[in-house]
Amino acid sequence: MTERGSNEGADDSDPQAAETDGGTHVTSDSVDAALDDIETTGVAGYNYAYLDEHTKREVRRAMLKAVAIPGHQVPYASRPMPLARGWGTGGIQASLSLLDPTDTFKVIDQGADESVNAANIRRLAADTADVETTTDTTAADVIQSRHRLPEEVLTDEQRLVLQVPITDALRKVDPSDTANRRRHAHQNYGKMWVHLYENVVEYGEINIASRYPTMVAGRYLMDPSPIPRWDVPKLDDADHLTILAAGREARIYAVPPHTSVEPLAFEDRAFTVERFPDQACHACGSTDTYLVEVSEETTDEGGFETRYACNDSSFCAKRRETPALSKDHHLDQSGVDWGPGTPDAGDGGETK
Amino acid sequence: MGYVAVTAGEEVITRAEQLFEKQRVDGDSAELGIDQVDEQLGRLTAQAMSESGLYAPRLAGLAVKQAQGDTIEAAFLLRAYRSTLERYDETVTVDPGEMIASRRVSPAFKDVPGGQILGATKDYTQRLLDFALEGGETSDPTAEWDVDDAGEPDRLTNVTELLREEDLLHEPDKTDSEEPTDTTRKSVTHPPARDAVLQELARGETGAITALGYSALRGYGQVHPTLAEVRVGRLPVRITHPYTEEPVTVTHTEVTESEAVVPVYEKRDDPQFAFGYGLTFGRNERKAIGMTVLDASIQLDSEAEPAENAEFVLDTIDGMDSFGFIEHLKLPHYVTFQSILDRIRSIRERQGVSAEGAADTGSTHQPAAEVSDDD
Repeated sequence: MTERGSNEGADDSDPQAAETDGGTHVTSDSVDAALDDIETTGVAGYNYAYLDEHTKREVRRAMLKAVAIPGHQVPYASRPMPLARGWGTGGIQASLSLLDPTDTFKVIDQGADESVNAANIRRLAADTADVETTTDTTAADVIQSRHRLPEEVLTDEQRLVLQVPITDALRKVDPSDTANRRRHAHQNYGKMWVHLYENVVEYGEINIASRYPTMVAGRYLMDPSPIPRWDVPKLDDADHLTILAAGREARIYAVPPHTSVEPLAFEDRAFTVERFPDQACHACGSTDTYLVEVSEETTDEGGFETRYACNDSSFCAKRRETPALSKDHHLDQSGVDWGPGTPDAGDGGETK
Repeated sequence: MGYVAVTAGEEVITRAEQLFEKQRVDGDSAELGIDQVDEQLGRLTAQAMSESGLYAPRLAGLAVKQAQGDTIEAAFLLRAYRSTLERYDETVTVDPGEMIASRRVSPAFKDVPGGQILGATKDYTQRLLDFALEGGETSDPTAEWDVDDAGEPDRLTNVTELLREEDLLHEPDKTDSEEPTDTTRKSVTHPPARDAVLQELARGETGAITALGYSALRGYGQVHPTLAEVRVGRLPVRITHPYTEEPVTVTHTEVTESEAVVPVYEKRDDPQFAFGYGLTFGRNERKAIGMTVLDASIQLDSEAEPAENAEFVLDTIDGMDSFGFIEHLKLPHYVTFQSILDRIRSIRERQGVSAEGAADTGSTHQPAAEVSDDD
C-alpha cells in the first residue's frame, strides 16, 4: 500500500489533471458546443473515469483522511452517479478515483463476478477509465466488492473497495447520526455492549449475522459493511488497504494495512463465524470457504435437495482445476492466516 | 452455473435495456415528441426539474420520455447529468418579491395588496373525467377572451411584509456565512444550517414532502400554518457581467413559492409567529406548501415528532436516496441471508427446537427473533 499511497501525492502532475485544469474536460470553448459534444458522443464525452478531476481529488483526500484515522467515517460530497444510490455508487466513486489506465479492475457482487450489478459497474469503469478488467482476484490491482472479501489472500499491492449500505455500526442501537457521532467522539460504545448483552440474555448468544460491529485500531467502532462474520478476521492485520465507501450516506472510511480489527464479543460468548457443519462445495469440494446453500428440485415429485457451493465463484473455478490450491498459492510465503478455515495457517483463525 | 442466483453479463444487461425500450415503442401510436412532453405534461417535467435541482425544461422532457413517465427516474437522469457539468458562475441572489406572478393566493387575509390572482388552477373544478379529451382536436377555450393589455404588472406587496412591519413575525436565524451552503458539494452533517435544510427540501421527493408535511398537520406535530402567500410565476436568473460587472438577466425560471405564519410563539416575553418558507422549481403548489410546513416544523427543533426532527426529515425525503435503497433490495442477498440462516439455526439449536417444531421449553411465547442484517 505504501507504494500506492505515495502515488496519490503525484496527482498534481497527472497529465490528465493538468490538461483539464482540474475541471470537466470541455473540448470546445462554447457551452452549447460542449453540451452537443456530450449529447452526441455519449460516455466518450465525459471526463476520464467519469468524475471530474476535482471530485476525484476530493474523494482521494477523504480516503487519505480515512486512512489516517482508521475506522472513522469521513464525510465527502458524494456525487450523483449514473447508477442508483444503494447500488454501489460509493464504491464506484472510490474505485474511479483510484484507478489509472495501468490498473486491472475486478468487481464482485455477493462473491460473484457474473452478477448483473457487478457487470454493470465493471462496464462503467471499463468504458470511462480505460482499465483492464479481470475475474482473477490475484490479477487485480483494485477490487470493488459488495459484501465479501475474496477467498484468496490480498496483498500489499492490492486495494479493496467495499460497498457500504449503512455506515455506522451504532445505527442498530440509535438511528440518529448526531447522537452516534457524539458517541464515536467519546469512544462511548456502552449502548452497543448493552445491545450485545441483551442478545445473549434473550437468545443465549449474539444474534448479529452480517455487519458485525468491529473495533478498529482499538479506537473506533466500525460497521465492516454486510460482509459475513466469516470475512471479518481477514481484515485484521491485513496486508492490503480496505476502503469502505457509501454513496447514499456520503461517508468514506478505511482499514489501513496492518491495523487491528477486533469484533466485539464477550469472554464467555466468543465471536463466531458462520458454520457449515459437514458441508463441502458440491462443485470443487472445498471445506474451507464461505458456502451458500441452494435448493434444487429433485427428480421425485415435489422433492427438494439442498446443496452447498462456494460463494467466491472465481476461486471455486480455480479449485475445480486444482483441488489442492491453497488460499495463498500466489504468495512467496505459505501458511498465511486468512480468516477462518485456512487449513495451512494452524488454528483456523476463527477467534484470533 | 446454476448456483449463482443472478448470473449475467453485459449482453443480458443490454437485452434488458432493449426490452425496456421496446415497451415504449411497442404500441401503434405516434412517437411522443419532447415538445409534447414539455408542453402537455408540464407537471411531470416540473416535478423532475424540482427533484433534480436542474432547471432545464427540454432536458426534463427528454428525461420523462426516456423514463417512460417515472418522475423519480427522470429526476435521477437529470441529477446524474447535472453532476457532470462544469460550474461557470453563480447567480446573483434574486428577490422573490419581484416575481411576475401568474397565480397568487393569500389565505391569511380577505383582501391583500395587489389582490388575489386565481390564475390557472384546477382547485375549484369538479374532478370529472373529460371524455372530450379522449380523441380528436381540442381547442383553446380562451381564444375568444377579450383581454386588455394592462402593461407591466406592479410588484406585489408580500403579505408577510405587513406582518413584519408590526413585528409579529419571528425572523429565522441568519446563516453566519455569506457563502450559500451547497449540499451537492458538501454532504449534510447535523445540525444543518437552514439554507442546507431548504436546499434539501427544495430537492425533496414530492410525495415524501407531502406525506411528512401532512404528518405535522395530522397531529404528529404542532405546525398548522396559515398561508400568507402561495405564488406561481417567473423569476429572473441574473449573473454578473464579466466586463461591465453589472447584473444581467440571462433567463427566467418558473417557480412556486409559499410562505406561512405559524401560531407557535417563538418567545414567551415577546410573542411572535414562527415562519415557514417553501420554493421549488416549476409549478408544484403541493410540494411548496409541504416544504413550508416542514421548514417551520424543523425550526421547532424537537425530537418529539418526525416532521420536527431535521435529521429524520432530511434523511428520508430525498427521492434518489429512498428510491435507490428501497429498490436495492432486488439485488442478490444470498451471502448475508446465509449468515442470517446460520444465526437462526444456531439459536434454534440452543433452544432445543428442531425442524419438526418447537420443543417443550416451558416458555409459552418467544419473541420474534430480530436477526440483524439491514443491508
